[in-house]
Amino acid sequence: MKGIGKALARTPFAVTSRIGMSKKSTDPEFDDYQRHFTALEQAADKLIKDTKAFIEAVTSLFTAGAGFAQHFAVIFQPIAGEYDIIGKHPEASQTIRSVTKLESAMQELRELIGPELELIDTRILGPAKELQSVMKTIRKTITKRDHKLVDYDRFNNSLTKLRDKKDKSLSDEKNLFKLEQDFEIATNEYEYINNALKQDFPRFMMLVTQFIDPLFNSFFYMQLNIYYLLLEKMNSFADETKYDISNAPGAQIMEDYESKRTDAWSVIENLGIIKRIVSVSRMVQAARSQSGPSSAASSLKAGAPPARSVSSSSGYKKTPPPPPSSSSQAAPPPYTPSASIGSAASAPAAAKRAPPPPPPLKPKPKPAPQIKYVVALYDFAAQADGDLSFAAGDRIELIEKTESAEDWWTGRLNGVQGVFPGNYVQET
Amino acid sequence: MSWAGFKKSVNRAGTTLLQKTGQIERTVDREFADEEAKYRIFEKECQALQKDSKAYWDAMKAMTAAQSRIAETLETFYGAADRSSEGAMAGHAYKRSVDDLDATFTRELDLPFRTTISEPLGKMNAYFPVVNEHITKRDKKLLDYDSARSRLRKLIDKPSEDPTKLPRAQQENDESKEMFDLLNDQLIAELPQLLDLRVPYFDPSFEAMIRMQAKFAEEGYEKLSGVQRYFADNVRDDYAAGQLDAQVEGILQEMRELSICGGN
Repeated sequence: MKGIGKALARTPFAVTSRIGMSKKSTDPEFDDYQRHFTALEQAADKLIKDTKAFIEAVTSLFTAGAGFAQHFAVIFQPIAGEYDIIGKHPEASQTIRSVTKLESAMQELRELIGPELELIDTRILGPAKELQSVMKTIRKTITKRDHKLVDYDRFNNSLTKLRDKKDKSLSDEKNLFKLEQDFEIATNEYEYINNALKQDFPRFMMLVTQFIDPLFNSFFYMQLNIYYLLLEKMNSFADETKYDISNAPGAQIMEDYESKRTDAWSVIENLGIIKRIVSVSRMVQAARSQSGPSSAASSLKAGAPPARSVSSSSGYKKTPPPPPSSSSQAAPPPYTPSASIGSAASAPAAAKRAPPPPPPLKPKPKPAPQIKYVVALYDFAAQADGDLSFAAGDRIELIEKTESAEDWWTGRLNGVQGVFPGNYVQET
Repeated sequence: MSWAGFKKSVNRAGTTLLQKTGQIERTVDREFADEEAKYRIFEKECQALQKDSKAYWDAMKAMTAAQSRIAETLETFYGAADRSSEGAMAGHAYKRSVDDLDATFTRELDLPFRTTISEPLGKMNAYFPVVNEHITKRDKKLLDYDSARSRLRKLIDKPSEDPTKLPRAQQENDESKEMFDLLNDQLIAELPQLLDLRVPYFDPSFEAMIRMQAKFAEEGYEKLSGVQRYFADNVRDDYAAGQLDAQVEGILQEMRELSICGGN
């Protein structure tokens, strides 16, 4: 109640002084201190805000780092039933072997960083907040001083006005006496608090500097330690996985990346499934007009000649031996003889390539084998014992063939008997 | 949606319903289901990876930016009393090095990060909606095929009086099968390829990421540790021993004892 009464009493003066009717006293020395103090207040607020932002950024850096490593690891591990990625992509073996190591390194790092952040929280953020609360009490004192100043000015004004009055009535004289008393009290109160502030401000400013020194030093070492932990982990990871992480300019990293980029980009871009469907019926039309019997599935290698998919619409179970294309890696799959007797799955080499087609149906011995010939369309070099090598154009005596050209057939050439992929030859 | 599209979707909804009640046989394609399941895993992981890589980059920038702002604030604090103290010098050195880290470093890595991480991921993730469109189309054509086939069967079981009905149903069946096969075969052939290609596709990104992470750590460590030269000799040990914390506490206490703080 007292506060409200005071506030009411001060209001008229606040109005009149603002519109310039009453005089307002100033203390330049104090104002100077106050300006500094306000700057410090703002700085403390900013420090708290930015420290919080820093903690958040570090947390998210390490969370995201761990997440990145984790998802990368999943992508570079067999997905549901895949096998032997390294075998299929030997050039990526270093990455494949390292992904899980990075994952665990990042996970450990994330745990290591926790205590560091805790330190920042308690040793930096805590004291900074303390400082902020100290400043709040000082701010309160300043407000009080401002109020006292208002009182002082108010009484001072009234007093001057009354004194200047030419003919004073009896009550004026009484008031004058009372005002003089009030003015004296207000003066004392104001002077006291104003002097206290002026006296303590320099001391406080000095203390703030002393305060910020050790705080800054601590914070510095905490930050340094975060970088150090990360650096340590990266170094030990790189040691283990044989990566060269010597500090190179960013452009160098980009260049190395470009040089290691494979044609996977363009191969993916040629896939049919990443092209928008305009109209299915148009696709059907196109497929029909395209190379007669070959049905849809063969948008893979446009120029691959052998009719590899006569039976593809029905089953399409296995990856047939790839027809040779002009590119380099298109060697036909190696073949293990045991496949023909039905134990293909157990062959260790099977891991290396697409599963061979299932063994042919039990060959029915033909009563009167009539000699048939096929003509080789491509060169074929033996991949394993029992394979028949030949050059394009060779006439091969066909001993045994299956219904599908995607299978291994048996033939004889120059007295040598062996098996070969059926889609390498043409029946005469 | 066009009228034709609307008709199609109504028909398909009917087919789904009849399949649920078991009146129309549903084609089960294990092979496709397997490929699709794998593809879904890949899709999910790629999206998560993209999210994390972006968060990583943002955090790296936010970290150096926060340091830079903190350094600025420190200058204000030192400006309050003594600009030429040892502390102020150290604060200034700190500001220089974090500014350097914030500006130079992030600018240097901006393009490499985009080229080696963000772009490949973004490109791959942009493919998924199209592939999904193929899968959706395939599912729809499968429904059409199932429904056409069941109509054909019914006609064969119970021949109609109208002699044109059977050939027409036969033709419808063949056409829908052709459409479905076209889409299905392509998916079955190409989904594994896409999955397989992920390895060479993403492989170089891994090394680039490691190198950039290491670079970030090294630059940060090196730039910051130079600031130590401006510290008094005992600071490092004091920090290790927890002395600095005690100093901070002591000064806070002194502040509280000032008459302008609580003392009226």
